[in-house]
Amino acid sequence: MGLRWYHFALWAAFAAGMFLLPEIVPRGTLRTIIFANFLAIFAISWDTLSGRTGYVSFGHPFLIGIGAYTTAILTKRFDVPVEISIPLAVLMTMVGGLIVLLPALRIKGSYFALVTLAMMELMYQLVQVIRPDLTGGTRGMSGLPTLTRGAVNGFYMSTALMLSIAFTTWLLMKTRLGTALSAIGMNEEAVAGSGLSVTRLKLVAFTASAFTAGLGGAVYVHYLGSIAPRALFDINFVFTIIVAALIGGAGTTIGPILGAFFLTFLLEYLRPWLPGAERYLIYGGVALVLYMYQPKGLIYLMGQAVRRVRKGAA
Amino acid sequence: MLQVLIQGLLLSGLYALIAVGFTLVFSVGRVLNLAYGAYLLIGGYAYFYFAQSLGLPKFAGVLLAGILGCVIGLVKYRLIVKPLKGDQVAIEIATLILAVVLQSAVILVFGDSSKILLPIIPGVERVAGAAIPYSNLFAAVASWVILLALWWFVKTTHTGRAMQAVSMDAKGAAISGVDADRINMITWAISGTLGAVAGVFFASYTQLYPGMWVAPLIIAVAVVIVGGIGSIIGTLIVAHIVGFLEVMTSAFIAPELRGVFTMILIIGILVLRPKGLFGREEI
Repeated sequence: MGLRWYHFALWAAFAAGMFLLPEIVPRGTLRTIIFANFLAIFAISWDTLSGRTGYVSFGHPFLIGIGAYTTAILTKRFDVPVEISIPLAVLMTMVGGLIVLLPALRIKGSYFALVTLAMMELMYQLVQVIRPDLTGGTRGMSGLPTLTRGAVNGFYMSTALMLSIAFTTWLLMKTRLGTALSAIGMNEEAVAGSGLSVTRLKLVAFTASAFTAGLGGAVYVHYLGSIAPRALFDINFVFTIIVAALIGGAGTTIGPILGAFFLTFLLEYLRPWLPGAERYLIYGGVALVLYMYQPKGLIYLMGQAVRRVRKGAA
Repeated sequence: MLQVLIQGLLLSGLYALIAVGFTLVFSVGRVLNLAYGAYLLIGGYAYFYFAQSLGLPKFAGVLLAGILGCVIGLVKYRLIVKPLKGDQVAIEIATLILAVVLQSAVILVFGDSSKILLPIIPGVERVAGAAIPYSNLFAAVASWVILLALWWFVKTTHTGRAMQAVSMDAKGAAISGVDADRINMITWAISGTLGAVAGVFFASYTQLYPGMWVAPLIIAVAVVIVGGIGSIIGTLIVAHIVGFLEVMTSAFIAPELRGVFTMILIIGILVLRPKGLFGREEI
């Protein structure tokens, strides 16, 4: 499996560093980190499906939305406790992952990306029309039960969730299964030719991605306490998730986390200088230039820098 | 019934114009330009600025919008599509990012609130109880004229036939002495112009707001997917299927559901017949 003791040491150091943060940084930064954590979860989920297998999804909010809406409806309309509704939401999202899998059995590349985009738009329109008494229609729902109170607790919860998801995904990708998934991204025919069931591998990737998306979406809704269709099934939201995964480095586990933190803090630190719409222009511009310069992402650039320093030292 | 027929025809003509610029780039360059909707956005706002803020003649407004779209198409091809060297997924993602950047640029210049375009030609004609603004009629007629001109251009001129050749087989076209790079440039320029002009008409149909690029992009995607790549006739037919589907849904079932069947159509066709209804054998 290629596991080394220092891998675990690095993870432990990362986790310890994260959990020490509330002692060091102010409250406002903690709130920013919370959003970065959730974005990181979504980006990891997207990467599990798209970054590894090469089936690029433009409709990831479809999955996140299933998780978010399931738990929101259950807790708000049927008074189901959060401890039950979140697992149910995750299960529902995994069923949603199977729906996304169906087109992936026949089509790939651009066409698959478009089907997922259509799925997201379909979900957006249906949520507003079908049973608005349940979904809250165009306005969505508010006053949902929240899991935590205050920035510090929210920080601990989101960080713990993000770290456990990241660590599990990383372990999963270290197994032969993860290798096979990356191989699908490189050459699907070759994987099938090696006697592996491509369909079964895709099934695993899609349900794993859906699991993460559903869990992240459900907890996110109970952090915010509200849900609205336009904020969720939005092409700008897709953009943020994909860019986070790609800027950080697709096909890795630490990359999407790095990308999510980089983008969230970029947006946050631009705020004092550019309070208005200029911020998104710069933000998108930075993303575009970085992506055009190095599609493999920040993690690759950092690796390159490390290699260069080592070469200089030797 | 007549009302549905007329509205369907008018809307479908516009949809065909929106989709044809997208399908051109898709079939010649094999790339999905997800920033296509941004041409419509920029075309609509350019018309608003030139014709309504500066008070230039309306025709000049449409013309300037078209020129701006053409320039943006060329710049986009040079700076984004060409450096990525045909990596389809990378181009899709880069153009998606670009679309969001352009959207925020529009918000920066014109603000977040929606604007209403004055009708290109004022006045309303009443047919069988249905009010048909001359503007919409003009948009539909202009769309048809542009589409026929484009069809003539692609079928008969030397450049148009070179475009067809590149879309069928880029290597074969190169061997026959076609400069694929030049053809791609021309295609992106035409696509940008068509998109921007379609944006003027689309904005006068609905309204002008920074998020208006998403809906036409999805329509273009739907038409191209269902029609199949490389088929202008297929694009026309499917634009009418989509247009009539929308008009009939909002007339007979519920206006809120108008987009739902379009989405179901996309998903269904792509899963059952990935080549589209009229497309060539290809991935």
